Amino acid sequence: MIKRRTFTLLAAVSAATAFALPVAAEDYPSQRLTYTIAFGPGGGNDRMSRTVVDILRQYDLYPGNIVVENREGGSGAVGFSYVSRKAGDPYRLTSTSGNFIGTPLVADTDWTYADFTPIGLLASDAMLLVVRSDSDFGDLDTFVDAANAGRVTIAGSGSAGPERVTAALFAKSADIEFEYVPIGSGGELVTALTSGSVDAVVANPSEVAGQLDAGTLTALAFSDSARSTNNPDVPTFMELGYDFSFSLPRGVVMPDDLDPAVQDWWVETLKKVVETPEWQAYLVKNGMSGNPIWGDDFATYLEETSAQYRATLVEIGAIQN
Amino acid sequence: MLAEIASNLSLGLSIAASPEGFLFLVIGAFLGMVVGLFPGFGPAAGIAVLIPMTFGLQPTIAIIMLAGIYYGSMYGGTITSILINTPGESATVASTIDGYPLAKKGRAGPALVMQAIASFFGGTIGVILITALAPSLANFAASFGPSEYFLIIAVGLLMLTTMMGDNKFKGFISALIGFAIGTIGVDVMSGQQRYTFGSPELIGGVYFVAVAIGLFGIGELLHCIFNGQHRQPATRLRISFRDKEFWPSRQDYYESRFTFWRGSAIGFVAGVLPGSGATLGSIIGYSVEKKIAKDPEKFGMGEMRGLVAPEAANNAASAGAMVPLLSLGIPGSGATAVLLGAFLMWGLQPGPLLIVNDPEFVWGLIASMYLGNMILIAMSIFAIPLFVKFLDIPYVNVVPVIVLLCVIGAFAINASIIETWILVLSGLVGFAMKSYGYSPAATVLALVLGGMAEETFLQTYIISQGTMSLFWERPVSLVLSILLLMIIAVPVTLSLMNRAKGATEPG
Repeated sequence: MIKRRTFTLLAAVSAATAFALPVAAEDYPSQRLTYTIAFGPGGGNDRMSRTVVDILRQYDLYPGNIVVENREGGSGAVGFSYVSRKAGDPYRLTSTSGNFIGTPLVADTDWTYADFTPIGLLASDAMLLVVRSDSDFGDLDTFVDAANAGRVTIAGSGSAGPERVTAALFAKSADIEFEYVPIGSGGELVTALTSGSVDAVVANPSEVAGQLDAGTLTALAFSDSARSTNNPDVPTFMELGYDFSFSLPRGVVMPDDLDPAVQDWWVETLKKVVETPEWQAYLVKNGMSGNPIWGDDFATYLEETSAQYRATLVEIGAIQN
Repeated sequence: MLAEIASNLSLGLSIAASPEGFLFLVIGAFLGMVVGLFPGFGPAAGIAVLIPMTFGLQPTIAIIMLAGIYYGSMYGGTITSILINTPGESATVASTIDGYPLAKKGRAGPALVMQAIASFFGGTIGVILITALAPSLANFAASFGPSEYFLIIAVGLLMLTTMMGDNKFKGFISALIGFAIGTIGVDVMSGQQRYTFGSPELIGGVYFVAVAIGLFGIGELLHCIFNGQHRQPATRLRISFRDKEFWPSRQDYYESRFTFWRGSAIGFVAGVLPGSGATLGSIIGYSVEKKIAKDPEKFGMGEMRGLVAPEAANNAASAGAMVPLLSLGIPGSGATAVLLGAFLMWGLQPGPLLIVNDPEFVWGLIASMYLGNMILIAMSIFAIPLFVKFLDIPYVNVVPVIVLLCVIGAFAINASIIETWILVLSGLVGFAMKSYGYSPAATVLALVLGGMAEETFLQTYIISQGTMSLFWERPVSLVLSILLLMIIAVPVTLSLMNRAKGATEPG
């Protein structure tokens, strides 16, 4: 009985693989597409993914149905693991963000960025160093002086996330020391600053936008290589003489082992997506810089960002080796 | 100031009470109640799924509808707590403690009516307070840092002891089990994984919903079957609007007349603070009610006040949570985080300037919450006979339905099978706890609050360089610290004094 069931299962599995493997490029795409979001609804990754899907639908860029699903958990570990296990399935898409690089470095995941087929980097998302407007820190140099004179505390989401990497890169280039306070979520991060518990926070622009507009918080510097369209008055760290830049890849990847024709099809399709006015409006609204990189160039970018990330985490002692 | 409030509200009503606004408000409130009925499929998922439906609408109308789902789910969520002892959310855990015994006593009708009234009362008081106090409350929420959060959570955790029933020791063990489960997952402070055993599904920790549904729903089910309840014929409750047994008795109203006020006030303050607002509010609301009652031994046996207090509190808290969301752009829970996402999608940037830049939106939303609560209470009372009918079904036929609901609820969390296993496991644990007099409520609430307590304590530790000086240097912290010490010291001193008295008096 057991033997027969195992046999049936094996037959089913081999039949499924046999059907899945050869996807004739000329027929592509002919099936339903599943867009997996490795984070919860409402967050940055979710908003980006849904914007891409809406544009695909609005301009009929994808002929079939598109199903969007959130598989959150473990800072992206669960969702990305799910997609990476679909190797060879050309109907799976997912969006990257900082955790796509960071989570495999700090957690024991069964995937890394290299287990995916890179399609394109659609935008990069950098961080702001933010202080209270009523604090003594008028600009970045005063902040550095204060750090040299005494003790400063900088808070950010998570212990080994992009916020900590940004803070560490800044401290290294300014040759200062600081106390890093990891805080779980965006909301408590902002109140840690407004309540005067910490001196500064490293935050995603969207987390502090309302407070910046109202003038209760002030951004001292931006971690991208160029100023943000949303906060044109905030200088970059580089402009101020601190030689580093760090931003997160907001891109699209697919499972491993795909026909190169499928990769090309999606590179061409997403090139159309980023040219739409809707995508440009999304970039402006979220203060992101859009400098798309495609295919193998995106793979190289992921490799470099991961290496920079890893080196910083090793240096600050967040991970070994 | 009153004139200003009146003009703001009439501006809001002109939007919320417009035919289109009203229609979508009714739809949102109805969907919210339905969403709340399914354990596990909470308001966060409900709002997220329905966001695409609102794309054709005007932004304010869309948000009015989505907000209706949010607070409507608070009405629906308690119904399963009362009828099948299965809270779908951490905010309705406290409502099971007296709600379910009430249903078992055959008073499901009055319990459901009373929870609808308490919800309406709490929700409306909450909106009135928002209308009057929103700007100053925002400053209050913004002054809470890690040290204040730790202390308020510590107060909540101490309050847990009052829920632990007669045996403090067993309650203590139950809470410790919750803390232990809470340590699974990535440690936010060090980034290290704890007790995940290489499973990617556990990196994010054990989500309390699966545990809650298992401990309460499946645990209760196993317990009933173990006691042979499925062999008994169903007690037919012929209940309609005309029956006297359907409505709460005069005594119910009389005894809980102050409970409504206390629950709403406590819940609202807790809701304004981002974090586990509604959960903390319902625990503290329940505990305070039990503490000041002259007959605390009735609590847990099906006492109406024990249901009214957490219900008024969690609904007032869901209104209170709109304060940091609108005025600071800070979401306090999963559901408000999704709402924030929806705001941003419509180009509305919550923050101190929102009320200045988009007054129609802010006041339209607030006015819609007054109307929404009225719609919800009417809808609830109308639907209650339907829900009570559920109890007419012989238990043996109810079992598969409950199991199905629980499994779907657990699976729906992340569409992954691991939550279903957690459900099965916690079901067995829940059965054991129920059989031996442990408290599943303490376990679930410790699971929700334990992680936050640990994080905020360690943040305070880092910020104050290991001296903990923040606990008395910051004014709000100092007040909370004193309160905390009093909660610990007063009962101890009283019992010591009683003992001393007993020792001096002969016999």
